[in-house]
Amino acid sequence: MGTDPAHEARDPRDAHRAHAPARPPRLAVRGVTKRFGAVRAVRGADLVVAPGTVHAVVGENGAGKSTLIKILSGAERADTGTVAVDGEEVTISSTADAMALGIATVYQEPQLFAELTVAENVFTGRELRRRGRVDWAAQHARVVELLTLLGLPERYATAAVGSLSIAEQQQVSIAKALAGDARVLILDEPSAILTDAEVEVLFGVVRRLTARGVSIVYISHRLDELPLIADEVTVMRDGRTTGTHPIGEVSVRRLVELMVGGLVETERAERTVADAPPRLELRGLGVEGRFSGVDVRVRPGEIVALYGLVGSGVAEIGATVYGIAAATAGEVVVDGRAVRPRSPAHAKALGIAMLPADRKQQGLFTFQPISFNISAGHLGLLSRARVWVDRAREREVARDMVRRLSVKTPSERQVVSALSGGNAQKVVLARQLVDRPGVLVLAEPTQGVDVGAKEEIHRIVTGLADEGTAVLIVTSDLPEALRLADRVQVVRAGTTTAEFGRGATQVDVLAAAAGAGDGAGQVAP
Amino acid sequence: MTATAPPAPAHGAPSRGRVLPPPVTGQEVVLVALIAVLWLVLGLATPAFLSAGSIVPLLVATAPVALIGIGMTVVIVTGGIDVSVGSTVMVSAVVVATTMVATGVPLPAAVALSVAVGGLLGLVNGVLIAYGRVHAIIITFGTLNLFRFIGLRVFDSSTVEGIPATLAVFGRGEAGRTLGVPHSFAITLVLAAAAWWYLRHTAGGRHFYAVGGDAHAARLAGVAVRRRVLSAYVLTGVLAGLAACFVLAQGTSSLAANVGSGTELAVIAAVVIGGTSITGGRGSVLGTVLGALLVQTVATGVTQLGWPSQLSALFVGVSIVVAVGTDLIRQRTRRSS
Amino acid sequence: MTATAARPADAGTDRPESLPAKALRVLLTQRTALLVVLLVAVLVTMTTLSRRNYLTAPYDTGYLAATLINAVPLVMLGLAELLVITSGRGGIDLSVGSIVSLTGMVFGFAYGLWGWPLPAALLLAVVFGGLCGAVNGALVAYLGFPALITTLATYYAFSSLALVVNRQQPINSEPVQQLYSAAAAVDLPLLPEAFPRVPLGVFTFLLPTALLVWVVLARTTWGRRLYAVGTNDVAARWAGIDVRRTRFSAYVAAGAISGLVAVVTVAQFASARPDAGTTGNGMALPAITIAVLGGVAITGGIGRVGGVVLAALLVVWLNAGILLAVPGNAGAQFQLLSLGVVLVVAALLNGVATRRYGGTS
Repeated sequence: MGTDPAHEARDPRDAHRAHAPARPPRLAVRGVTKRFGAVRAVRGADLVVAPGTVHAVVGENGAGKSTLIKILSGAERADTGTVAVDGEEVTISSTADAMALGIATVYQEPQLFAELTVAENVFTGRELRRRGRVDWAAQHARVVELLTLLGLPERYATAAVGSLSIAEQQQVSIAKALAGDARVLILDEPSAILTDAEVEVLFGVVRRLTARGVSIVYISHRLDELPLIADEVTVMRDGRTTGTHPIGEVSVRRLVELMVGGLVETERAERTVADAPPRLELRGLGVEGRFSGVDVRVRPGEIVALYGLVGSGVAEIGATVYGIAAATAGEVVVDGRAVRPRSPAHAKALGIAMLPADRKQQGLFTFQPISFNISAGHLGLLSRARVWVDRAREREVARDMVRRLSVKTPSERQVVSALSGGNAQKVVLARQLVDRPGVLVLAEPTQGVDVGAKEEIHRIVTGLADEGTAVLIVTSDLPEALRLADRVQVVRAGTTTAEFGRGATQVDVLAAAAGAGDGAGQVAP
Repeated sequence: MTATAPPAPAHGAPSRGRVLPPPVTGQEVVLVALIAVLWLVLGLATPAFLSAGSIVPLLVATAPVALIGIGMTVVIVTGGIDVSVGSTVMVSAVVVATTMVATGVPLPAAVALSVAVGGLLGLVNGVLIAYGRVHAIIITFGTLNLFRFIGLRVFDSSTVEGIPATLAVFGRGEAGRTLGVPHSFAITLVLAAAAWWYLRHTAGGRHFYAVGGDAHAARLAGVAVRRRVLSAYVLTGVLAGLAACFVLAQGTSSLAANVGSGTELAVIAAVVIGGTSITGGRGSVLGTVLGALLVQTVATGVTQLGWPSQLSALFVGVSIVVAVGTDLIRQRTRRSS
Repeated sequence: MTATAARPADAGTDRPESLPAKALRVLLTQRTALLVVLLVAVLVTMTTLSRRNYLTAPYDTGYLAATLINAVPLVMLGLAELLVITSGRGGIDLSVGSIVSLTGMVFGFAYGLWGWPLPAALLLAVVFGGLCGAVNGALVAYLGFPALITTLATYYAFSSLALVVNRQQPINSEPVQQLYSAAAAVDLPLLPEAFPRVPLGVFTFLLPTALLVWVVLARTTWGRRLYAVGTNDVAARWAGIDVRRTRFSAYVAAGAISGLVAVVTVAQFASARPDAGTTGNGMALPAITIAVLGGVAITGGIGRVGGVVLAALLVVWLNAGILLAVPGNAGAQFQLLSLGVVLVVAALLNGVATRRYGGTS
């Protein structure tokens, strides 16, 4: 990735000085670094948040945002640098420290107890007590106050958290964060899992909080929403903050350029795809409440990427093609024949294979050998009379795959828990290739994989396409989508919008995905 | 917890009653209704059923199961289980019985001894489970055998004979009743009420639910998870020790070596029928007491109707399936809403 | 007996570990290795005690062979538990003992009272046991009931039915009594005279069952599916495996094995007793204990026939030794102690192994 010295050099405080407050900043982070072993997750972060403002932090995956949040919330300790709250330098060495300082964090995954009431969740571990018992009335009063602030009905105080929607649970998490009189509230991609209407509610909450003097650090991938909510924005790239800007002074397009470091040329191999009828076609595919109107065509030998941010619905599309979730609208067409994959087994019978997104949860049989992991998806094929495992064939196929995908292992009998992320991913990929599927769906094929293995996986995928496989990649890794795919289709708000052929830049695609407007035909079914 | 009773739409100053989730769950209401119907039907079918001669033994027989059920509820709420309680009852019973035979200790000392023995065995379970990081069912399967060994060693021969009537105050005879109410059942009710109050109204009590709901999140929130787990097993042991006194009082002057066997399953059945979720995080002591009462009512009813007494176990099995089934349906409808 | 055990994951380490460290690791992570060492220790200790006349009777091969009759139901039900526990999601079967009781009565009716031929009655027992298992399997696999509670409920239901079906009376008619010979020790025609007399049940029931379960688990696609589902049922679903059917069939198989054990038990007692599998601690708890001791992981996906057989042999021969060392009632009591200690220690070792080496196999 190229660098842009002009932005590197910019002092983050310059922008802030524009409306310099007389009061010290609510939160001032200076020169914070953090490394995990050989990985320098944060190389130098500066962040100055004024009282009662919303400060957005944006950056690509892996830019160091999450590590910075962890440092502020006390989950990790910074190696160097200082943090000051209201002008006073502080040490944050535990989550309790952060809470005591009034720094509260709302993570994407709510840490809540489904069976307990909202009021109890808010106060678990720090119950208000009176004469040895929980002071329900005081807790209730405080929670009602918080709920009112958040715009939730009062009766929710006594409702079990498990009976609330995801959006409401998130608001409970916010209430929990606020109960300790938070001065700084960190929201980690709060809008990712919310519908547009729910996002509106969230913004209302954020505005009410800032009106009361709470400062918000707002992490988001959805750049289009920033002008609606943020006062300032700080961009992170490669572990560094590259500058802070008043939100009115930067366009979404400019932010994208800052995030990816200018106009990056993506080096990609020239491929030609023979003109042929599509092998896989999705026509207006939809699942109620998840996504709708998805149109995709993949010809034999073609690699098409569906690119979308977390929460855009892109993840569910692949699962629907593979029969994990049932479509409620539209159809899946394979070789011109409309099909309805009922289950993964059915999808496989139709010639569709899929590499799941979550390797650990959905892919690996952890403490089983490589050969077991590969044959598990093909027990019918690798058997005699469908009853007896053909162990010679199984071994042969596993060895062949280990060689073809260059899995680094002494033997195909190695248990997969002993493999590195990249090699384990190759094993899961190998399972999809045994019966040479006509359609291969890859979800996040290189997530958590080292650079070398990533290269190899890309080469394997290209090789498969060259042999005539129709490849559909579902990914939130933009450089990968651009490098690998012949065409990139952007998924936004649960539907396919813009399409990019070769020569598209990261800036174009990211802008379309984040909703900058240009290039993205706003399809609203 | 509130899913069964949607909060009233009326707003206003929050009264004390509305600050808390409803004190009684839907399952408990159903159980009360079921028990009432059963008593009514049995009363009509066999008039003898509603007489003191029938009800008192029923309540006395319910007491030990309900009493241990209080502790078992807490254990299961934390996401664990204790299958060793039958052996704990046995050890406590035989230690107290032999001590009474040998030295004729007075009532308070006997009870204290029994409770101390039970608490010690519970402590063994608790330490192994909280600090050994092994699933509770395996540990307690192991201690089930260990405790049984200890008990049988104390027994020495197959029965203890000539036990003095020190504990008659917990029995079903005249000495065991005040105004017709059996003491053992009354004590169980008082302790259940105390446990109910503790679990509902104190931070420590609420933390049991947090541990069972999500132990990791509980730790992050500052809950002392290991201490909660440990105390749940100690409590169960203590109550099993007290229940041993009730069991001793029910018998004659002799005590057989099979005392307590099968208790663990009866107690777990009562807890589950009472609406406690076996996966942890949700449960109520009140439901457990009602569950124990229902099981005993069925057992008594079956005999009084002249059916083979062994049929009652069939009804217990069906009750468990129905209780768990309704709970699953409730969870699914809530998740999909 | 163990199937192709994957070699420990030491390929990536750059420094060779010392011999004691390696021995410790193998003992902690390879349950069969630990069991073999314990088994040898028990045999050596007991034989030594026997030679020095500390025991009330000689602890010799003949005695060891005779006590194998106790291993028959233990191993078979241990294998039944192996199947359901390996199927994952908290799989367990508390009802095997009551299936033994109920199926024993059904077998008793068919063979002892209705005069069915033995093969037909045997088949009936297996099918009926399988049906009982199917009740468990349907509730657990298809309706999502927790296995512990489901099988607790069916434990009650089946044991109740077993008692009610013949008004608590055992069936010990002529044909049933003659079955006893099946449990007696036999001389094997092809083996030398010196070979100890082994109970027939070992050959007619135990070995065929163990062999069958081993073949099914190690060699068939069903076995692979079972391990896959138990290891990670989400991944199994993504790999195209019918998770529910696989799990369901594990409970059916456990029920069918319990049906076989019912026949063994009827033969052993020369009577179909309505409480055969549920008296005392019942048959389920020892079976689960044997399975766990044999290295079956309560979390699913891990478990081998060899481990269960070794665990059962260890317990049976240890108990046999204890009976000779500690005469009278105390012997039976010390058996409980050994069982409890061995189980808890094995479980704690599992925990240590998981923390130190990241897993056992």
